[in-house]
Amino acid sequence: MPLEFAKSDALTFGVELELMVLNTRDFNLTRGAPDLLRRLEKAQLPSEVKPEITESMIEVNSTVHRRFAELREELVRTRDGIVEAAGKLNLAVAGGGSHPFHQWSDRRIFPTERFLKVSALYGYLAKQFTVFGQHIHIGVESGDDAIYLTHQMARFIPHFIALSASSPFSQGEDTSFETSRLHAVSAFPLAGHLPEVASWDEFNRYFDEMAGYGIVASMKDFYWDIRPKPEYGTMEIRIGDTPLTVTGAAELAAYAQTLAADLLRHRRTDPIAPRYLVYGYNRFQACRFGFEAMLADPGAHTHIRLREDLMATLNHLQRLGDELGTADALRAIGDRADRELNDSRWLRERFQETRNLSDVVRLQAERWRDDPGKGAAQAPVAGLRAAS
Amino acid sequence: MAEFPFLPSLPLTLSYPLLFGVLLVAGMLGGEAARMLRLPRIVGYVLVGFAIAPAASAMNIGPLLDEARIFVDIALGLVLFEVGRRMDLAWLKRDWSLAATSVGECALVFSLVFAALSALDFAPLQAGLAAAISMATSPAVVLLVAQDARAEGQVTERALTLVALNSLLASVVVTMLLATVHYEVRLDLTRAVLHPLYLFAGSLALGGAMASLGRALAGRIERSPELHFTLVVGLVVASVGLAQAGKLSVILALLAFGMFSRGEGRGRELMAVDLGRASRLFYVVLFVITGASLPLEAFETAGVAAAVLVAARAAGKVAGVLAFAPLGGVRLRQALALGAALLPMSSIALLLQHDVARLYPEFGQQLAAVLLASIAVMEIAGPLAAQWGLRFAGESAPESQAAQPAKGAVPGAAGQSR
Repeated sequence: MPLEFAKSDALTFGVELELMVLNTRDFNLTRGAPDLLRRLEKAQLPSEVKPEITESMIEVNSTVHRRFAELREELVRTRDGIVEAAGKLNLAVAGGGSHPFHQWSDRRIFPTERFLKVSALYGYLAKQFTVFGQHIHIGVESGDDAIYLTHQMARFIPHFIALSASSPFSQGEDTSFETSRLHAVSAFPLAGHLPEVASWDEFNRYFDEMAGYGIVASMKDFYWDIRPKPEYGTMEIRIGDTPLTVTGAAELAAYAQTLAADLLRHRRTDPIAPRYLVYGYNRFQACRFGFEAMLADPGAHTHIRLREDLMATLNHLQRLGDELGTADALRAIGDRADRELNDSRWLRERFQETRNLSDVVRLQAERWRDDPGKGAAQAPVAGLRAAS
Repeated sequence: MAEFPFLPSLPLTLSYPLLFGVLLVAGMLGGEAARMLRLPRIVGYVLVGFAIAPAASAMNIGPLLDEARIFVDIALGLVLFEVGRRMDLAWLKRDWSLAATSVGECALVFSLVFAALSALDFAPLQAGLAAAISMATSPAVVLLVAQDARAEGQVTERALTLVALNSLLASVVVTMLLATVHYEVRLDLTRAVLHPLYLFAGSLALGGAMASLGRALAGRIERSPELHFTLVVGLVVASVGLAQAGKLSVILALLAFGMFSRGEGRGRELMAVDLGRASRLFYVVLFVITGASLPLEAFETAGVAAAVLVAARAAGKVAGVLAFAPLGGVRLRQALALGAALLPMSSIALLLQHDVARLYPEFGQQLAAVLLASIAVMEIAGPLAAQWGLRFAGESAPESQAAQPAKGAVPGAAGQSR
């Protein structure tokens, strides 16, 4: 039976954010999600808040938007609601791609049928999967567009990695990577990227074959970095760490929206295969070195520094940004890249100051709570957010 | 023997190191035996203590056991500090229902126990003292049961905060009642006012001073958990000694130390180090000695009154928590679990009872028998109740969640997703 691709309005967008639930003593992860979610049932939040694989995580699902400013406002409101409810339970909530010092074996699987099955199948990988990512959905009008956009977006995956990187620490140590989170994702057998199919029909044949082998039952079984999401009628970018602020998350979504607009307007026809030959290498470079990564360019047979590639792309998108209302976001992103100030660097600097990862997470939670301040939802989103 | 002066004389003298070692190993074995029966380890420690008591008196090492209170004091210091550190004033401000629950459950326990003992013809002051002591929940039991069960969640968090609060309230009320006794026995108003004042102010000042000292020292050493752990343990033990030397309240001083050491923002020089494994050594000995020191013959003289006290106290705790649960958004199931978790009665009650007996031996005879018998019952029933509560709330770690076999788990069929 072919997968049905739900049509949605092109370039509408929304995000999913996975967040840490922490105690306020030493800011380790704690089993707070069940109580927090129950309390949030009564709160009138604009976004949906859901459980995740372990009981120290929650996931925020925004509604569908057209404009960056609206998405940002919704995320601020949701954040305020979650922070308030968490406060009553003596819990803290924070962004960031991984918890710097938690022990994965301490985690507990959220006891829904689905998560228990995942845990039974994947063993320790399930608890190791207590990492926190941002998923960005971009609406497309057809399955073919979703396939096209997924392939094209693969070229920009390193940008999203460098911009969102916020997991330099893992199991109490500095990993030397800008993001260590993606290693938890790569361990799954169906991680990676979309095969080189050219249309939705072709993708359906691939899917049927995989289903025929008894390997997959739905799109959810593919843990790809970017994938079509037929149920929502979107292309979904799943590569990013959850940023340390909601503004950061909204800005990344705005960058994805603007990129998608450009790719849909000016259709590219260059071959797909070479792009995937360099994909793994470039992905590693971005994870390890962030803005300083040297990306292989399959067309030009050269290497280019990620920061320069990103700045050139932002430059190219400038006019489109004005049209879509993402100019502020693009400017903030450019500023961050220019000053090499991603969240991983911020976290490392806090560690330099405090010499203690508990303090780093505390500051991380404070930043999530305070940046931008309460009530920022009502304020106009003019002006540039200071990057730190 | 004279020709072999290098040989020890027999029988061997029982020294503190030997005693500590024996109590520790015996307690640990008892704890593991309890564990195999799916009982809390504490029950095992206490039963070992019960068993050791007759042997100790037969071997005439009872006095040595009394002297071994140093271990108990260190253990209590650590546990009070830990519970104090967990008491988050900012949380009490954000959720006022927590403080209300504490006052409510304490008031209810006090009223019910007071009424019950009065009905049994105890003098008002005696009934009052017993009622005040009954307000306290054992922090050591709740902390250890929570640690053993690896419990995490609202019930665990709230229980530990309520324990800190009711230990505080109980020692304050007991101190005030003792002042009244003062007045009644000696008709000395100045002493009746000055003594509690000295206790409160002095204990708080000591706690505050130790916290400041701890921060100052912490700011000058490397931020490593090992160093901070050593610092904290050193200061805690020293605080116990200072409180005793200064005739202050160990309970108030150590709770205050814990509370003040948890600074906000810039005041966080002192790391929130985990005292768990090292302090376990002292906790094991604490419960063995507690078990050994409880005179089980108290049941004969005060069994009935103790049963009444235990029942009234339990009713007060559970009803108090239930009554205030809706205010804090605590569900019925959680409230029942929380009520059960507040039942343990052990070290703090014992300590308060000691204070009363020390100051007014003539006054405390009969009261002591009732309290000791109640504590003996709760040494076993308390940990069981707390363990049940944390399980009932779903906050204990599953026995072996990770060890589930993936029988017949077909990859795709799981519909797994993130």
